[in-house]
Amino acid sequence: MTEISHDIILESGKYKNLSITNTDPEVVLNLYRFMLRLRRLQEQIINQYHPADQIRCPVHFCIGQEAVPAAISQLIGTDDFLFGPHRSHGYYLAKGGSMKALLAELYGRQTGANGGKTGSQEISVPAIKFYSGAILSGLLAIAVGVGLGFKLKNQNNVAVVGFGDGAIDEGIFWEAITYAQLAKLPVVFVCENNRYSTYSPQLKRQPKDDIHTRVEAFGLMTQSLFGNDVIAVMSAMSRALEYARSEKGPAFIETYTYRWKGHVGPEDDDYIGYRPQSELDFWKDNCPIALLEEQMTARNLIKPALKQKLLADIDKEIAEAFEFAKNSPFPTDQDWENLNYNNSSSLADKLLQDTINSEQFNQNQLETVPAPY
Amino acid sequence: MREISYAQAINEALYQAMELSDDVIVLGQLVDYKPAIFGTTKGLADKFGPQRVRDFPIAENIMTSTAMGAALTGIRPVIVHPRIDFMMYSLDPIVNWLSLWRFKSNGQSDMPVTIRAIIGKGWGQGPQHSKSPHAWFAHLPGIRVAMPATAHDVKGLLLESIFGENPTICIEHRALYSMLDNVPKEPYRVRFGQAVIRREGVDVTIIAAGLTVPLALRAAQLLVEDSIDAEVIDLRTISPLDRKTIRDSVSKTKRLVAADSGWPYAGLAAEIIATVAETHADQLKANPVRVTLPDSHTPTSYALEDKYYLNENLIAQKVRTLF
Repeated sequence: MTEISHDIILESGKYKNLSITNTDPEVVLNLYRFMLRLRRLQEQIINQYHPADQIRCPVHFCIGQEAVPAAISQLIGTDDFLFGPHRSHGYYLAKGGSMKALLAELYGRQTGANGGKTGSQEISVPAIKFYSGAILSGLLAIAVGVGLGFKLKNQNNVAVVGFGDGAIDEGIFWEAITYAQLAKLPVVFVCENNRYSTYSPQLKRQPKDDIHTRVEAFGLMTQSLFGNDVIAVMSAMSRALEYARSEKGPAFIETYTYRWKGHVGPEDDDYIGYRPQSELDFWKDNCPIALLEEQMTARNLIKPALKQKLLADIDKEIAEAFEFAKNSPFPTDQDWENLNYNNSSSLADKLLQDTINSEQFNQNQLETVPAPY
Repeated sequence: MREISYAQAINEALYQAMELSDDVIVLGQLVDYKPAIFGTTKGLADKFGPQRVRDFPIAENIMTSTAMGAALTGIRPVIVHPRIDFMMYSLDPIVNWLSLWRFKSNGQSDMPVTIRAIIGKGWGQGPQHSKSPHAWFAHLPGIRVAMPATAHDVKGLLLESIFGENPTICIEHRALYSMLDNVPKEPYRVRFGQAVIRREGVDVTIIAAGLTVPLALRAAQLLVEDSIDAEVIDLRTISPLDRKTIRDSVSKTKRLVAADSGWPYAGLAAEIIATVAETHADQLKANPVRVTLPDSHTPTSYALEDKYYLNENLIAQKVRTLF
């Protein structure tokens, strides 16, 4: 693997290696449209957030990190599972989640993807096998179990899970890749290394910027690359999925990327001074959408008129989705019992007889005498 | 009907569950070896193979998460912890994911995972091999907690847990493992939230669960000499708690003793007393009493173990204070 790290990327200057010559133009357009749609949606949510304050849940924006979800959107199968962290709007859309249901969830409405139970950071849509959650690293561990389920059931599906460099700090990450490798499970682990966990830079938490090197030592098929080259990310993702699907074991991809906005919320948090302005400027200058658009323009795949049309369509869809969310009713359901417990048991009903008389119990016997083990 | 032991009943539940459905798997350290977790997983690996009966790395956190993820694909995993103490490594997946998974999916996704948690006792097992924090799990919304006292009930509750849709923790006290009971051969269920009256009486209600059930029954025998006729109720499950049966009994007897094999603070006994106090405080003839472990970890020396643990004499002694 050619050496890569955040410092190397910064030292290399503006990225010049994105190439669309080997990619189907329709796919290129799909990627472009996906990223544009995601970016516009993030921007609109930011615009609508304050002072209206009708979105009352923490929202973690992914502006700048559109490439991974875009790549996933083109490759993931209907029966594959996709797991994302707290910063999951891209993953949600990549799996085919409804924009209306996403916004309604942010607005806490009944028509939200989870009926207003989770808001942005834990949004899930079981029907399309998309799940997200905010406790760091939890879902990459659960993804391992999904991989085991696929293997036990001989299903040729893959569990794909996205997370950040912060998630690598948790011990469970290392347990997860160990077990996935041991049992050769069809899991693709995608680490979006955006260098910061909230305000804390990677090198304050980890001895070296070498996540991919450490993971490779565990035996996984490992790739690491500049994460704002959506074409390269898509190639890497495709290789990883193929590897996992062919039952060789789990795959790991580390994509180096950057978050433009603050860790959470519509504001910037750079006033805290935890990252250099020059670094932020560099990554803005290497925007995944702009890098792709440059090449598309050079090859006449996009012209201003087409871009305007795309944006108009996207903005219309977004506006309609906001209308839908704002006009949706609030949830009123207070059946806490049913929300927390499933009292149906169709399988038990089918397989088990009801209790046969258990009241008689002979208490004239002693407990087990304790033994050395 | 034939008599088998508590441990054999667990084994039979697992065996029958795995026969009834290919989706049932067992995960746990050393489940596929001869000792078979005190006999409870005996024969499973031979019959069902290593894919379904899986020894696991000593990593309870990933073991639990793996079971949870597998459940999303339709698998029905049973996790075995030879000591509930070891289960603490898996508190994050249990508390932050498993317990709230259904809720956060707005009721659209469930993880029917069954966790068998075994409590050690005696022979100097000490503070790290004998805890019983069952109250913590009962406290948590979204998790069902069973605490079977008899072989009949442990088989039925395990089967109910495996083929039901809720994540369940089945608390098994090892001291019960050799105790015998009539256990039907066929697969059957014991439902959650249905306590059973083990001994009818009129003078005092003793609420017990798990290990305290045989102790309470023996205490009731002793109390006959004091002309005290005790009613002993076996809760069977502590979440959900059968509050109706508890309250009905106290309506009759007007006296309450809660016998719990755990710590006193905010424990099961406290919950039982609160349940009765909420509706029947004005009817009680005496203040309710809880019989629990001391507010302490477990000592190792057998001289101290004797003083630390509950026994029927202690329960009987406490019952007498209500008269």
